[in-house]
Amino acid sequence: MKIINCPLNGPRNASEFVYGGEVKQMPDPAACSDREWAEYVFYHYNGTGEVREWWLHAPSGYWFIVERHRVTGEISRTYDPSELDQGEFFASVPGAAEEINS
Amino acid sequence: MTSMTPAAAAARSTLYPKLSDAEFAPCADGSIAAGFGADDSAQATRCGLMDLTPLTRTGFRGAQAAAHLAASGFPLAEQPNQASVTGGGELVLRLSQREFWVLGSLQDMGERITGLVAAACPDSGCYPLFCQDSHGWFTLTGDAGSAVMAKLCAVDMRDEFFPPLSIAQTSVARINAIVVKHSINGVPAFSLLFDSGYVSYMWDVLLDAMQEFGGAAVGCSALR
Repeated sequence: MKIINCPLNGPRNASEFVYGGEVKQMPDPAACSDREWAEYVFYHYNGTGEVREWWLHAPSGYWFIVERHRVTGEISRTYDPSELDQGEFFASVPGAAEEINS
Repeated sequence: MTSMTPAAAAARSTLYPKLSDAEFAPCADGSIAAGFGADDSAQATRCGLMDLTPLTRTGFRGAQAAAHLAASGFPLAEQPNQASVTGGGELVLRLSQREFWVLGSLQDMGERITGLVAAACPDSGCYPLFCQDSHGWFTLTGDAGSAVMAKLCAVDMRDEFFPPLSIAQTSVARINAIVVKHSINGVPAFSLLFDSGYVSYMWDVLLDAMQEFGGAAVGCSALR
C-alpha cells in the first residue's frame, strides 16, 4: 500500500485519502466572464511533471496540499493550506496558466 | 444502578436488540448496557467491549472553541490528536487546532457535561458538533486491546508508538474512526467513535477480532 504523509495525522495508507483536484485560483464568479468561469470549472491542466493538488484525509476531514509528480506518482511534499502562497498557484506548473488561458 | 427495559427509554443505542442478554440501566434520556453477568469485571480486564453510544458527548469547532472549553474549566491538550482527562474522568479530544470533542465519564454517566451540552456557544468562532447523534461509541478494554487493534487498523497502537491519550483518526475495519487510547480505573482502553450507521457492523467485527483473545461484550459498570 502506498503511504501518504498527512500534515495533521502523519503517515497513513493511501486508501484513507481522496483526491480533490489541482490547486488553482477561483476567479470572482460575480465579476469574471463566462469563459473564465468555464475554464476554472471544466478545463484542467493535463501535462506532466510536479503538480500541486488538494487531497482530503477522509477519517479526519482534513484538506491539505500535495506536491506530486504526475509521471512517477512520487510525493515530494505535503503541507497545510495555510502555507499556500495565494498568488503562486501555478508556480510549480510552468506554462500551465498560459495554456489554460490561451 | 436501576435496571430497565431498553425499549422503554426515549433514546437507545441502535445496537440494543443484539444485547438481549444484558442488563440495561438509565443513561441520559436513554438506556445503556450496564452488565452482562457476574464475570463482567474480570472479562473487561482481559478483553471486553462496551457499547457507550448512549453516553453523553459533545464537540465544538472554530477559532474560539478552545477558549470556550477552557472557560468552562476543561483541560486541553497542546497538540492535535492528543486527549486530556478531567478530574471527573471526562475525555477531551483535540482533533485539530480548532476542533474538540468532550466524552462523558462513566463515573457519573455523563452527568457533569450536560451543562456544557446545554450552554450557549460564543457568538462567533465556535459552533457545536452533534457527535452524540452522528457517531457511535465503543470502548475496547483490557490488556489485549493493542493486539486486537493490530488486526483492524494500520496504525501501530502499541504503547511505545501510541502512548496513552494519543488519538488516531484513521480507518478501522475499513470504516473511518477516531481511536483514543486511555484507561478506565487503571485498565487500558481504546475508545472508538465512528459513523453511527456502522454501529451494528463494527460491533460484530470487533467481537470477531476479539475472539482469539477470549474477548466478549461487557457492560459499562464492569470497571466502575
